[in-house]
Amino acid sequence: MKNRIERLCEITHNKEVSSSYFRIGLKWQTPRIAPGQFVMLRVTDSLDPLLRRPFGIYNVIDAAGKASLRGTGIELLYKVVGRGTRILSLKKPGECVDVLGPLGNGWPLPRLLSSGKNRWGRHDKIIMTGGGMGIAPLYLLAKKIKTGVVLFGGKGRAEAGLTKAFKGHKIRIATEDGSVGKKGFVTELLKEELGPDSAVCACGPVGMLKAVAALADDAGVDCYVSLESSMACGIGACLGCAVKSGAHGAAANRDYRMVCSDGPVFLSRDIDWEAL
Amino acid sequence: MKKNAAASSALSTEIAGIKFQNPVMTASGTFGYGMEFGGYTDLNRLGAVVVKGLSLKPRAGNPGPRIVETPGGMLNAIGLQNVGVEVFLKEKLPLLKGLKCRVIANIFGETIEDYAELAKRLDNAEGLCAVEINISCPNVKKGGIVFGTDPIEAARVVHAVRRSTGLPVITKLSPNVTDIKVLVRAVEDAGTDAVSLINTLTGMAVDVERRRPVLAMSTGGLSGPAIRPVAVRMCWEAAKAARTPIIGMGGIVTASDALEFIIAGASAVQVGTASFIDPDAAVKVAAGIADYVKRHKTTVRELIGSLKTG
Repeated sequence: MKNRIERLCEITHNKEVSSSYFRIGLKWQTPRIAPGQFVMLRVTDSLDPLLRRPFGIYNVIDAAGKASLRGTGIELLYKVVGRGTRILSLKKPGECVDVLGPLGNGWPLPRLLSSGKNRWGRHDKIIMTGGGMGIAPLYLLAKKIKTGVVLFGGKGRAEAGLTKAFKGHKIRIATEDGSVGKKGFVTELLKEELGPDSAVCACGPVGMLKAVAALADDAGVDCYVSLESSMACGIGACLGCAVKSGAHGAAANRDYRMVCSDGPVFLSRDIDWEAL
Repeated sequence: MKKNAAASSALSTEIAGIKFQNPVMTASGTFGYGMEFGGYTDLNRLGAVVVKGLSLKPRAGNPGPRIVETPGGMLNAIGLQNVGVEVFLKEKLPLLKGLKCRVIANIFGETIEDYAELAKRLDNAEGLCAVEINISCPNVKKGGIVFGTDPIEAARVVHAVRRSTGLPVITKLSPNVTDIKVLVRAVEDAGTDAVSLINTLTGMAVDVERRRPVLAMSTGGLSGPAIRPVAVRMCWEAAKAARTPIIGMGGIVTASDALEFIIAGASAVQVGTASFIDPDAAVKVAAGIADYVKRHKTTVRELIGSLKTG
């Protein structure tokens, strides 16, 4: 519990990296962060917009520039979609924002990193699948998973630009307009990559996640999805970010799970995809 | 030491013979079962924690989307998701043992018998100081607001709870009524020891692109700073009509917001939606009231209903 804190963090940078996509850096002597965890940002002192906004942690910056999960700052990747993110995009280095976090569970790194046959099955090839902004939390994950493959699906060139930072991984891209990589959806790439010893980690729009989960299910491999939801508190109190549990899997006897405190990362079979 | 005692008594308030170290409580449904906030705020500095509404059996709640942000507020239709009274007593309440703040259980039933049974189960629970009856939830099909908008039904619920418990009874009223005074008198005549208000205002948001309600349940309860002026007005009206203490709530974010309610007649306040934005909000409100009391060389008790009009 002590790790979960609310604090004012100084902005170190806040730059547009691709059309309407921004990367913001926040000074923060972080506790240990698990890839897939998120923070709740308050973008204004005023009461409008009222609620905090959830953002997946994109990167942890440490003084040595190493792929550490502790650091002296974090980076978030965000797209300007409404009032809250517009206000955030206008903030300058030196200004402060109120950060609550790190929150949520994150991807189960020990499970994913244990290769070979073990009690969780074989996870020799981790396929990290991101759609649009869903690529954000996968960056930190990719830093820890050296042998994985990154698949990205986006609308076109502007979104595909988000993958530039991924280095040292095999990256495959699909765009809807065909301007970069394969023309079509990321699920086409996933079909080609999936094998019996794969595990999938995915984040993106619900439609994409649904398709990814179905493919992983057919292949009989584990699929960990990071879900998005509107939420008020981020700490399991408001119960606003409920998603319906699947009929099978570990959550079968529970009707709803909270994206903020039970997730945001779930085993895909623990989710009722029809209800989403 | 003496000075500290004086400072603390200047902040204290009393409801139904129970002394609270300060007049700030957390509103039911916004603070979980208390321990969710243990890592973010000092629960010992609250007047009371009012836990999430409890039903006899666990409730799953409504499908999503359950919440949507609105100007200066939010709509919610959670549907009283809760662990049920048995799990609360076994697993949640013991975690709050030893805290300096009081604990109040909020209860919700679909029938009058449910309310009575809940009150009975909680009667001898160690660590509870009172029961708050929710007859004002706008987000469930049965019970809830049905009891809260009809003075005769409201009185029947209160009467049944009153007979089933030795604990002080607080009745939480809905603002979705024409004349709050009628409800206040009805629940007082039925034996409530205090009245809390306001619960959320029924509201709705429409997704114009899809031409559908934003919330899965179509309507929800509006909370947050947007409703504060309505809440202050209703507390003021209720306080004038009431013989029992009023607990005021609705959009409180700062100490100044809370003081509006106290000056208008509330003996205590509850902080709700603000805890979502700042988990430490209620403690900050209590600290701000302490500053005000010091600055004005007064006490919370003197401030209650000290509004000057005319």
